[in-house]
Amino acid sequence: MNLRIISANLVVKLTSFYREKSAMLFTIAFPIILILVFGTIFMSQDNVSYHLCVQDLDQTTSSAQAVKTLELKGTFKITKVDPAVNATRYVIDNQVNLVLIIPKGYESSLMQRMTLNDVNASITIAYIYDPSSSSVATKMQILNSVFSLINQELSGKPPFIRSVQTSILTKKYRFIEFFVPGIIGMSVMTLSLFGTVNLNTELRQKGVIRKLSTTPITRTDWILSNILYQFILAVVSTIAMLLVSYAVFEVNLHIDAWLLGFILLDVFAFVGIGMILTRFVKEAQSAAAAANAISFPMMFLSGSFFPIELMPGFLQTLSKLLPLYYVNEGLRASMVFQDNMTALRYSAIIGAFVVVVFILGIIATQWEEGK
Amino acid sequence: MAKETEYAIEVERLTKRYGDLLAVNDISFTVNRGEVFALLGPNGAGKTTAVEIIDTIRTPTSGKVTLLGMDVTKKKHDIVPRIGVLPQGFSSFDRITVRETLRYYSRLFCCQNTDIDELIDLVNLKDKAKAQYRNLSGGLKQRLGIAIALVNDPEVVFLDEPTTGLDPRARREVWEVLLGLKNKGKTVFLTTHYMEEAELLADTVAIISKGKIIAMGSPGELIESNANYLAITLQSVDDRTFEIVRGMGFEPIHDNHKNIKVRVEHTDDVQLILNAIKSAGALYLSLDVRKPNLEEVFLKLTGEDLREDPPEKEAK
Repeated sequence: MNLRIISANLVVKLTSFYREKSAMLFTIAFPIILILVFGTIFMSQDNVSYHLCVQDLDQTTSSAQAVKTLELKGTFKITKVDPAVNATRYVIDNQVNLVLIIPKGYESSLMQRMTLNDVNASITIAYIYDPSSSSVATKMQILNSVFSLINQELSGKPPFIRSVQTSILTKKYRFIEFFVPGIIGMSVMTLSLFGTVNLNTELRQKGVIRKLSTTPITRTDWILSNILYQFILAVVSTIAMLLVSYAVFEVNLHIDAWLLGFILLDVFAFVGIGMILTRFVKEAQSAAAAANAISFPMMFLSGSFFPIELMPGFLQTLSKLLPLYYVNEGLRASMVFQDNMTALRYSAIIGAFVVVVFILGIIATQWEEGK
Repeated sequence: MAKETEYAIEVERLTKRYGDLLAVNDISFTVNRGEVFALLGPNGAGKTTAVEIIDTIRTPTSGKVTLLGMDVTKKKHDIVPRIGVLPQGFSSFDRITVRETLRYYSRLFCCQNTDIDELIDLVNLKDKAKAQYRNLSGGLKQRLGIAIALVNDPEVVFLDEPTTGLDPRARREVWEVLLGLKNKGKTVFLTTHYMEEAELLADTVAIISKGKIIAMGSPGELIESNANYLAITLQSVDDRTFEIVRGMGFEPIHDNHKNIKVRVEHTDDVQLILNAIKSAGALYLSLDVRKPNLEEVFLKLTGEDLREDPPEKEAK
């Protein structure tokens, strides 16, 4: 290992990167765009509010009060529908997925129940809905639970079963704070894998590697300088993502040495996989396709974008075989839960993977033209 | 410690096989220190395979190559700092400037004392010192490649087809650089399929065909021993001239422009032919008499045209 040679390589790679504006923009802008897009989506999920159309056929003070209760208890944004229009037509014409109809006689039935205590007095609320909409079932569930609550209050008896919610976390976290570590893990994977595969196949195809093989640089020097280069890019990219996350979404994440540790393990793992790919893929274009074939499933199955618990059982088992899963979970353990033991366990698993992949990568890297 | 020999390179029974293809077939030769040695042959003849084994890029199937007194398969680590290589199809980092590229390679060789400016002057790239590699023309790229091959002040310089793909002007510019190396007394191992390049630059030429060396010597020796005749070209002749020359026992041929080409063994034969044409009152516009060149030597030895590019068989 020759530090002078490694630093010379590093300077050349960083200079090339700096001068290739589009690559630099992609490296830093792409993860930031992901954070902004998904962050905005998940921010609204933290304070979810559904749109609800209500047609009040009763037009009384009580029915108006009922609409207000729905707005408050169901956190709905209410649109009032003219009682004169046909509700089914309204759903079709206005492309809404649900219209709730308060029937005529709501107030009189309510008075009958409350003042005369007539248990036979009741009303039927109608849902006119479009079953093809994905959110309509959730809306109806929320509405049913609001109506159950009102029914229970009208009965005048206290509820028998109550619930209390206690988070396992000492602080309240939002979804964006679980999401950011996943995006860091995924971005570092993409940078390292594509960076290694693209750079090495391009340089080999152009004959630069052949020229380098006639100089004192060794395979180890070349690989180490590549690791260092990818690590610097990964750190720069992570800093950009964190700055945007803090500035735009005011995330509350814990940053310590584990973050650097997991970035380094992520870089080693995917530079290693990249080196193995480079050995078997000759052309730069097919190399990019091969890197895509590896990174895409990894991106979606490793819990970068959404929790793996949402997936079927066999996919969850598959996820636990993927290195990125342990990077993501390790980063969450350290950045969200501040759970050093879990972070240590995941770092050990990914560390063992890194050792195997990296040794295979070194063996696979063809330096001399050889045979 | 390597033993110092009078030869810079000694190749003994070198063979390289790729499956069924015998790229280099049992070749042996030596290269003296300080000489320019050219391996001349058409594409696919085995030039690049041979030079890449000698300059440590590839390993041989059998045979032995000794470079600066060291076995190339065992002492690569010791050999590399003492040689400079311009591989075939040389390329460098696109967005790095000429000066930065030279500094980079100098650092790879851990040379503290490389005079980058002197190298830039040597290959005449002063105006392009700040230009990025991707913005250089083909000829400028090759000149940079030669400068890179010199950053470690090597004892032996390997140049694999340094002018292939260049236009005639760029080729001439590269030749000027190579003549500069020759004048500096460097041992230069050159591969080329341009006979004028070998003839102009080389002290010794080895002609390689189908993996075998079929002739070796100085350009003059090769011509003398393989093409000992004079080539006469008579331009714009009238119809009788052809018959007159044939009647004298020579074997004239017409070329595409109705010129006559004829080979004679002695200078006196030229005078005899001219006298016969004059006596018959026949006409010709001009006369060219010259000694044959390496291309004709190659044609005679192999039956192949040096400039033709046969199907690429050379394994990379």
